[in-house]
Amino acid sequence: MHADLVGFGALVLIAGLLARAGRRINLPTVPFFMLAGILLGPGTPGPVLVAHPEDLSLLASLGLILLLFHLGVEFPVDQVLGSGKRLFVAAGSYIGLNVGAGLLFGFALGWGGYEAFVIAGALGISSSAIVTKLLIEFRRLANAETPVILGIIVIEDLFLALYLALLSPLLSGAGSAGELVLRIGLSFAYLVVLFAVARFGARLVGKVIDSNEDELLAILMVGLVVLVAGVSAEIGVSDAIGALMIGLVIARTPLRERVERLVLPLRDVFAAVFFLVFGLTIDVGDFGSVALPVLLAVLMTVVTNVVAGLIAGRLFGLNQRGAANVGLTVLGRGEFSLILATLAIAAGLDDRLGPFIALYVLVLAVTSPLLAANSRYLARIIPDRLLHASWRYVREETISTACTHLDRINITESDADACPQCVDSGDDWVQLRMCLTCGAVGCCSDSVNNHAEEHYRQTGHPLIRSLEEGEDWRYCYIDGALVREPMGATRE
Amino acid sequence: MGKGIYVQELPGIGKRYDVDLGSNTQRISVVVRRDGTRDLYVFAAGKDDPVAVIEMSEEQARKVGALLAGTYFSE
Ligand SMILES: [Zn+2]
Ligand SMILES: [Zn+2]
Ligand SMILES: [Zn+2]
Repeated sequence: MHADLVGFGALVLIAGLLARAGRRINLPTVPFFMLAGILLGPGTPGPVLVAHPEDLSLLASLGLILLLFHLGVEFPVDQVLGSGKRLFVAAGSYIGLNVGAGLLFGFALGWGGYEAFVIAGALGISSSAIVTKLLIEFRRLANAETPVILGIIVIEDLFLALYLALLSPLLSGAGSAGELVLRIGLSFAYLVVLFAVARFGARLVGKVIDSNEDELLAILMVGLVVLVAGVSAEIGVSDAIGALMIGLVIARTPLRERVERLVLPLRDVFAAVFFLVFGLTIDVGDFGSVALPVLLAVLMTVVTNVVAGLIAGRLFGLNQRGAANVGLTVLGRGEFSLILATLAIAAGLDDRLGPFIALYVLVLAVTSPLLAANSRYLARIIPDRLLHASWRYVREETISTACTHLDRINITESDADACPQCVDSGDDWVQLRMCLTCGAVGCCSDSVNNHAEEHYRQTGHPLIRSLEEGEDWRYCYIDGALVREPMGATRE
Repeated sequence: MGKGIYVQELPGIGKRYDVDLGSNTQRISVVVRRDGTRDLYVFAAGKDDPVAVIEMSEEQARKVGALLAGTYFSE
């Protein structure tokens, strides 16, 4: 049976209008597509635009495939590998905390073991799309914590591939433990083969779909991606991984930029259909029974994210504001949680998983931008001793990496313990600052004389550091901001 | 890259270029996103948050760039 075009068209249009209204107040789009599906689907009283979601299943899987293909194509391999061990430790603790807590939560719910693994992924893996949009909208691209946040979500994407490779065989309904081990082994072996293709055979794959004409490239690309995804599903590895991996392969060919541009509108449309169709399968009446677990899950996610933010803050020498921004920005959940929910539904797991994850994503979609925007209130209550340096004066301020005066740093240490000018005039001072250009020591802006700033006015030396015990923050008078060296930067 | 321009990688978004204008009151950063969109961050002295962020498409950026570089001529 064919889905009714009128109903489907109206549904997509309404979903788009809802999402557009949400964008006016900076809410993410994914939850609104899902919401349209929920409200106008067969599971909710009122008008039903599409009565049989299964008629749209091919379009929905196309959405899932293109979503992960695009993720693979734009995966910034070099930027991640070049960003150092600290980032992997930060991302590892983020993933460990969130997925670990999710797993415990899943088992505590008692819906079943496989269900717990799905919940772990759905609660633990954040939405790169939502996080990236938040950073752009909140104008935080010059903040010191932003490269850390971006690094974490990119490594999370990689983790998602491995997690899917583990989960798909688990959910495939293997009879015995031996069969299960075999399937997991097969799944990872398949990953290795695709990695090898990405490493050595990318040029060849590129030749298969290459064309100077955009029209042909788009068609060849979609054909190849769907084929690889389908074959992967046949082997018992999920179609999602197949699509992601072939994306990584294409990313290593000269076609990358054109493919990235061509796949984007396709991905946007079909991914929206995927979220819509997921919404259609949700019965709004089930929300009541999962409301309490969802509330607890949201609270737990906020806590684990804030803790992970503090760990990242410690590792990268961020202040309270930076650490709070990491925790509260990486909070967004969206496409990946819904992908896992879809997998679970397809595998016939507990019926409550669908509504549970749907409501969880909806609640976090609304709360995470609000929390991220108000991170300064969290920054206010984080105790100094949780982070390396003492940030007493500057805990709520933004640290910037966009200071262009860092090349004027000549000297960074001093054992001075007095403001010489105040000693001469017999005045008292509160705290000491040191000029990083010439090493001159002066008193801070809370002292009567503020000799540090006077030194800047007289000499133009822009940067100071705090000389207080345990403090090492740097401030640029020209920028009027706390500053630090960017991680992995090429300063020329 | 010329002197006084600093590059910061933004994984998954693109690159940020911080421009030293040699000025004590104004400073700009340009973010070049992978999809071609440019964000122009404008900072003023003594403020840690940008005072303006202007988002431009590749085409718009080219226009502004031509004007700034003095290579735009109206007929
Ligand atoms: Zn500066
Ligand atoms: Zn000095
Ligand atoms: Zn003094």
